[in-house]
Amino acid sequence: MAWNEPGGKGNPNDPWGNNNRGNNNRGGNQPPDLDEALKQLMDKLNGLFGGGNNRGNNSKSGGGGGLFGVAILVLVLMLGFQSVYTLDETQQGVVMRLGKYLKTENAGLRFKIPLVDQVVRVNTTQVRNAEIKERMLTEDENIVEVELNVQYRVMDPVAFALRVEQPERTLLSAAESALRHEVGSTAMDPILTVGRAVLADQVQVRLQNYLDRYQTGMVISQINIKDARPPAQVKAAFDDVQKAKQDKERLINEAEAYANSIVPEARGRAQRQLEEASAYKSRIVARAEGEAERFESLYGEYRNAPKVTRERLYIEAVTNVYTNASKVLVDVEGGNNMMYLPLDQLMKNMPKPAGVQDIMSSSDISRLTDQVLREVRSRQSTTTSSRREGR
Amino acid sequence: MSPKAMIGIIIAGVLLLVASQGLYVVNEKERAIKLQFGEVVGDDIQPGLHWKTPFVQNVKKFDARVLTLDTNPSRYLTSGKKYVIVDSFAKWRIKDVKAYYRATSGNRFEASNLLSNLLNKGLRDEFASRTLHEVVSGERDELMTKMTQLLNENTQEELGVEVLDVRVKAIDLPDDLSNSVYNRMSAEREREAREQRSQGKELAEGIQADADRQKTVIEAEAYRDAERIRGEGDAEAARIYASAYSKDPEFYSFTRSLKAYQETFKENDVILLQPDSDFFRYLKDSKGQ
Repeated sequence: MAWNEPGGKGNPNDPWGNNNRGNNNRGGNQPPDLDEALKQLMDKLNGLFGGGNNRGNNSKSGGGGGLFGVAILVLVLMLGFQSVYTLDETQQGVVMRLGKYLKTENAGLRFKIPLVDQVVRVNTTQVRNAEIKERMLTEDENIVEVELNVQYRVMDPVAFALRVEQPERTLLSAAESALRHEVGSTAMDPILTVGRAVLADQVQVRLQNYLDRYQTGMVISQINIKDARPPAQVKAAFDDVQKAKQDKERLINEAEAYANSIVPEARGRAQRQLEEASAYKSRIVARAEGEAERFESLYGEYRNAPKVTRERLYIEAVTNVYTNASKVLVDVEGGNNMMYLPLDQLMKNMPKPAGVQDIMSSSDISRLTDQVLREVRSRQSTTTSSRREGR
Repeated sequence: MSPKAMIGIIIAGVLLLVASQGLYVVNEKERAIKLQFGEVVGDDIQPGLHWKTPFVQNVKKFDARVLTLDTNPSRYLTSGKKYVIVDSFAKWRIKDVKAYYRATSGNRFEASNLLSNLLNKGLRDEFASRTLHEVVSGERDELMTKMTQLLNENTQEELGVEVLDVRVKAIDLPDDLSNSVYNRMSAEREREAREQRSQGKELAEGIQADADRQKTVIEAEAYRDAERIRGEGDAEAARIYASAYSKDPEFYSFTRSLKAYQETFKENDVILLQPDSDFFRYLKDSKGQ
């Protein structure tokens, strides 16, 4: 309170008064002797540095009354400046008169009584931020790490400025307590998964309650639980659970893929089997009908002329058979026991249909030849022996 | 400088001195008491400008705001014989300035000390009668309300202090207990992971087995139905054949045999023939004898 004692400390403040622009502006209204005194003073000041020296010089050379006037002028100016202040849009001013709360001012140009009124500016629009990151116990005695972000505003500047010591620190302590309380009464799983929003709401209610009780004048606008995770020591195990869930999904998907491929394939095959069966049925029945009808038609004619028809059929069929085949006529009665059939030569001379050459190699032919020879010999031996017996 | 002025200045100075000694301002954040030779003569002086007799009376100012007592974290034993490390704080303010001054000579540290001793003792008792679980979750509010009450009973009269609230900031386990908690948590997670994987296998196995069953059933039923249809066809054909051929079985076997001969002998088969067969009846003799 330097200005309380102008006699003692008025002069040291002169240099400041001189440099003040306000001083020059208002100079025209002042009595001339003051101007003179000012000039004098400024001359002196040019060579001087300290306040104590200044004072000594002034009292020696300057007029006492003039100096006193300057002091009063400066004092008035300073007080004039002190009586005006501005409040920003973001601020509210808590005005105390002689230490006692008087009023709260809003933004704009404001007046106060210098020395008597004291203004504390409080930012009431800014959204402030506080962060907590803590490791804590849950209800089921697990440990989680929670990161919390508190956004708050000062609602009541009077309470904020006057009623509580260290409001920001109070907020941090209260937030930590509220958070731990709510986490402590919630199981771990909801905190880590779906319960965060609920948790944030509960913390907000609780924290606001504390803040009101401590008269901090602060209002919580939002609480975000930025992160809630298991501590690093158990992180691997938690991650593995996530992986296991993925594995489970994967296994199920693979099994479903398998099922989706195998069942329709089986259905397709079943369909094919049924179709084939019914085709078989149609075919066999149609053939039967056809053959039966053919037989019946033929039979009808056969009844008219059995002997001729029968003979004709026989000869036609045998002709058909013999026409295509190579024929070897063996007259057994001729009695030649050793007969050589050049079958391989026969086969070679025959016109071969396509593909036969591939199927029948020369070894096949020779084997066939051997077989035929054996057959012929055995027959000959049986007929000769029977004949001999007959004789 | 004239003597008059000098006298004026001196008188002003003395007045100022007296005023500066006699007038005092109590801030909105403060409460004060007035002492006269050490005896309290003014109690709970409210904010504003006040007067005291200079040199005779003395004014002591105290913080009137809500103050924080932040204790150091310390170990408490719960009823489950588990140690916990508890960090707590209390919010308090001076209620009866005179009593406060008498109890602590206005020394805040002393007041804090007294309060924290009370708080420690109270918490120790409360924790000792509760399990860890109760302390951590269920009964925090009750615990805190009780602590606040307890402190108020002891402090309001004696210290002139009003305790607004007591809060446990942190209840932590000591390191060795924490580690065992971590181990347990890990074990639980492992169990869960294993369960998930096994469930996955179970479900997958079920789905695959079901698919295999469906496949087998579908194929078997298809086989059954196909055989039935084939059988029906066979039966139908047999019936048709039988009804036709039974008209003359001998003729049937004759024609069927002829057909079989034709089918049996392919081109280029070699047939050895004896000329005495029926076919060659006319080969040697036009009469066929």
